[in-house]
Amino acid sequence: MEKKIADLQKKLDQKYPGCIQVELDQSRIVLTGVMNSWEDIIDACKMCVQKDKNIHVVNHIELKGVKKPQMRISSIQDTKYDGRHCDVLIIGGGISGASIARELSRYKLDILLVEKESDLAMQASGRNDGEIHPGVDLNKGSLKQKYVVKSNRSFDQLCQELDVPFKRVGQIVGFKDKKLYPIIWAYAMQRKYICGVDDTCLISRKKIKELEPNLSDDIQFGLYNPMAGSVSPYGLTIAYGENAIQNGVEIALNTAVLSMEVNNHKIIRVTTNRGMIYPDIVINAAGVFADDIAKMADDEFFSIHPRKGTDSILDLKAGKMISSIVSTKTLKKDNSHSKGGGIVHTVHDNLLIGPDAIETYEKENFATERKSIDQVFSKHQKTSNIRQSDIITYFTGVRAATFEEDFVIEKGRNTKNIVHCAGIQSPGLTTAPAVSKDVVKMTIDLLSEHKTVEKNELFNPIRKGIPDLKHMDLKKRNELIQKNPDYGIIICRCEEISKGEILDALNSVLEVTTIDGVKKRVRPGMGRCQGGFCMPLVAKIISEYKNIPLSEVRKSGADSIISYGKTKENTDETI
Amino acid sequence: MREMTCIVCPNGCHLTVNETNDEILVKGNLCPRGKDFAIQEIHHPMRTITSTVKTVYKEVPTIPIKVSKEFPKERIFDVMNQINHIQVDYVAQQGDVLMENVLGLGINIVVTSNILKETIHE
Amino acid sequence: MKQYDTLVIGGGPAGLAAAIGAKKENGEVLLLEREQRLGGILKQCIHDGFGLIQFKERLSGPEYVERFIQEFLSLNIDYETLAFVIKIDKKEGFYHVSYVSKKGVCEVTVRSLIIATGCRERTAKQIQIHGTRPSGVFTAGCAQHFVNLLGEKIGNKCVILGSGDIGLIMARRLTLEGMKVLGVYEAKATPSGLTRNLVQCLEDYQIPLYLSHTVTRVFGEERLNAVEIMQVDEKMRPIEGTQEIVECDTLILSVGLIPENEITESLGIALDLKTKGPYVDDYFMSSLENVYICGNALHVNDLVDYVSESGLIAGKNSMRQHVSTQSVSIDLSDDFLYLVPQRVSVHDVQESMFYFRAKKEMKAADLLVKVNGKEIMKRRYKNLKPPEMEKIKVKWEMGKISENDHIEIELKEDLCVK
Repeated sequence: MEKKIADLQKKLDQKYPGCIQVELDQSRIVLTGVMNSWEDIIDACKMCVQKDKNIHVVNHIELKGVKKPQMRISSIQDTKYDGRHCDVLIIGGGISGASIARELSRYKLDILLVEKESDLAMQASGRNDGEIHPGVDLNKGSLKQKYVVKSNRSFDQLCQELDVPFKRVGQIVGFKDKKLYPIIWAYAMQRKYICGVDDTCLISRKKIKELEPNLSDDIQFGLYNPMAGSVSPYGLTIAYGENAIQNGVEIALNTAVLSMEVNNHKIIRVTTNRGMIYPDIVINAAGVFADDIAKMADDEFFSIHPRKGTDSILDLKAGKMISSIVSTKTLKKDNSHSKGGGIVHTVHDNLLIGPDAIETYEKENFATERKSIDQVFSKHQKTSNIRQSDIITYFTGVRAATFEEDFVIEKGRNTKNIVHCAGIQSPGLTTAPAVSKDVVKMTIDLLSEHKTVEKNELFNPIRKGIPDLKHMDLKKRNELIQKNPDYGIIICRCEEISKGEILDALNSVLEVTTIDGVKKRVRPGMGRCQGGFCMPLVAKIISEYKNIPLSEVRKSGADSIISYGKTKENTDETI
Repeated sequence: MREMTCIVCPNGCHLTVNETNDEILVKGNLCPRGKDFAIQEIHHPMRTITSTVKTVYKEVPTIPIKVSKEFPKERIFDVMNQINHIQVDYVAQQGDVLMENVLGLGINIVVTSNILKETIHE
Repeated sequence: MKQYDTLVIGGGPAGLAAAIGAKKENGEVLLLEREQRLGGILKQCIHDGFGLIQFKERLSGPEYVERFIQEFLSLNIDYETLAFVIKIDKKEGFYHVSYVSKKGVCEVTVRSLIIATGCRERTAKQIQIHGTRPSGVFTAGCAQHFVNLLGEKIGNKCVILGSGDIGLIMARRLTLEGMKVLGVYEAKATPSGLTRNLVQCLEDYQIPLYLSHTVTRVFGEERLNAVEIMQVDEKMRPIEGTQEIVECDTLILSVGLIPENEITESLGIALDLKTKGPYVDDYFMSSLENVYICGNALHVNDLVDYVSESGLIAGKNSMRQHVSTQSVSIDLSDDFLYLVPQRVSVHDVQESMFYFRAKKEMKAADLLVKVNGKEIMKRRYKNLKPPEMEKIKVKWEMGKISENDHIEIELKEDLCVK
């Protein structure tokens, strides 16, 4: 191993003379130094990645002249959770944290989940394409592959339990070069029989035309996975969270972990903006900040290099063009920023185009750029005739990639009372059901070392979602309106959302009374007018529900003010 | 010579105004109102405004109003200040005068909608 | 199931006029309005300047539309508010319409449908404004709702993008209500709104207008804190190097209106790419038998008076006994931005009304109507501008249109007039 490190140092010195020092420290390769460009830092770290996935690259290289942005935290400062003890503290309310919380609530435990944002699924879990991957792109040997197929198959039951819309829309990867057929056939067979992706098959051009009449005529054959699906990623995360709450978990929003006190390889105390928390076990599901959390816990053995990607959402009418998840591939090595991605028919029947992939040192840079959209469109227009004029909105997410480009799912190496669920990027949404079960197993192992953990006999896996009136048959819809006339008052005309559904969203077990919170739960403002008509109405419903003035209603975070007050505030006369 | 746009109606006639001794010559107007406008605009520009006033009703927090006729342009914000102090505490109707002879300008504040009548059933 | 001759969808200025028009032809009429009150968007257009053509008076939006509401109510026409159409099926020459209201899912059968659903606003994303997703970015109509109906102060320092009438009027409204408008930015080289609004909304309040400028980016994680402004070239593409950051907490977008065509599209009615509304014949009937379109759902008008006028015509026509879907299309010269109706029905006809906009500003132009190559009408126009819609009544001297007639309408700029 020491020779390996010396070789690496030599290679790095050749490419980046005098910039970087490499060290092997326990089972991590630590890079230190100063460099001028983030791309070079990424490149240097990637050069050090080992075949042995247990050895992780840790990046301590300083980017010259750049102060990395601080983690954004809510402006709320109070003592709501001060002195709170718990068996398990889950850090992060994305798909990982929420699914772990729910699976952990099968045990009689005091569980607290902290999320720094004003809602669940605010970062990567709310900013992705919602594909439930078939796993055909993954080879043996990675954790991603270990979980993906098993997890994929569990979605029907899971989504039924959590009452989350899920459709197996299928995935087609098209090829335009006939000569590739033997290679792709061999690939498909390897995936099918060695990797266990048993739904994989090759389909003819004719079959593709039957399935997707609007795909490019140049496509000669395709790799088809009927088990690929679409789900609302934030819908699933919120559903997991709500089911967790029903089973006794406490979720603390706007609560950010700021530091930890570690003593004798144990986390004693966790400081947040809302007080000090005293957990027995900590679960690190902090997404792009997972390496920062690991460092706070004195257990830093991997690094996250954020990679942002932008997706565009097309109007419902474009959704009729494509009914599955489609892309085209060549065998040319593609190092461009638009590697991967495709056209996804979402569970809400829109089309989603993207994403691209751009390395960034800013973990929360969610700003969109025009060139991302242009690039992604020019790529996927080769698959089907999609039009930018059908875009209704776009969004950017940041992937929490490790340099090994694989998940880190294990107990702490140096610190004994932490479990990491880190490096979760695609297909992290798909793998959440299986990953969360493994994380729970590790957590119970740790807890069992010093106490007996009992099953939660009252655990109820069923969560009832908010009724979706638009997609109901008219008779049932009529019955519901008879029971609750608010279901008959349409507030969002584009997505046909009623006042009753909005009130249901406000009434959820996890109370999120913001415009975006309501939008994520029942979709007013998701349509083509993007809330131009309904946003004032939704704001008014929130203000009436909460009995607060409109100036206290927020779009999302604590400072996302909608109105500064009344235009006629200083009234002192009455007529 | 001065050029101006007539704002009396959506035609927005482009006017050229020549002031010679005692006479004002207006060109470009499609109707006589354009000439009146130009003369007024040169001597003393007049405007009217619309706004809202506060009510005591939660369901209808504001109702729309207008100023009954034109008044000197430079007094717009003085008039707005008066409007901002009105609060309606009864079911007002279109045409109701909420304030008379505002600031001695000979103008009234007039309700322009029946929204209260339609919405509030006392 | 309840039956009506005509169902009007939409209770704004177009729908009210359409219902009145149909009722006056002795029709059994039902009007459905999705909002709580009749009146459509005029409820929140509290500024004046409406009704100069219809009533020869200068009315505010609520005053204008409430006159129609009064006439509508006096005719005892059936209507429901908070009623939203969810499904339309065509069966044996009738339309079965399902809608939801507080009462439940209701169904009616009608012979004619009038779609008067108005228009909606283009959004920040549709014009490729990038950056973060803060609060404080409003479309003009959304801002109008907050300020005029709810009495809310939505900002302190505002930037307005788009010099259409709504943008200009909002500049004045926000200023009067105590908000500072830093400027109105317009990507085109010429203003989009009526000249009188430039005078009485901007000049009167010393609000600067920046032509050939657009907003390309917004900043702020929670509330908007700045926008990036760029100059644009003649094709409205941003020019690199002209970036300028303007600090503000509010961005108002008045960047265009699009006819609402959810229902028309769901019925499979063909749309005109120029108006973004459906094709209609001179009865305002779409390609589908007995389905009429009027007001801003057909094309975006600049004066509400024309919206009401089209509603009235569509309403009357919906009660016709003999309906033919046969029509001939009109060959339009390139200098038109658009012309509606786009087709003329095959029938005995003395005259038809057309509305049009020129593609660019023209000091003088001649409009020529030709049938089978023969000029039947010529009219001189002065100062044509795209923002200002024109209207023309064409007299068909032959007294009828047959299916083989070839109709051409040309707009010819007279470049000699400066």
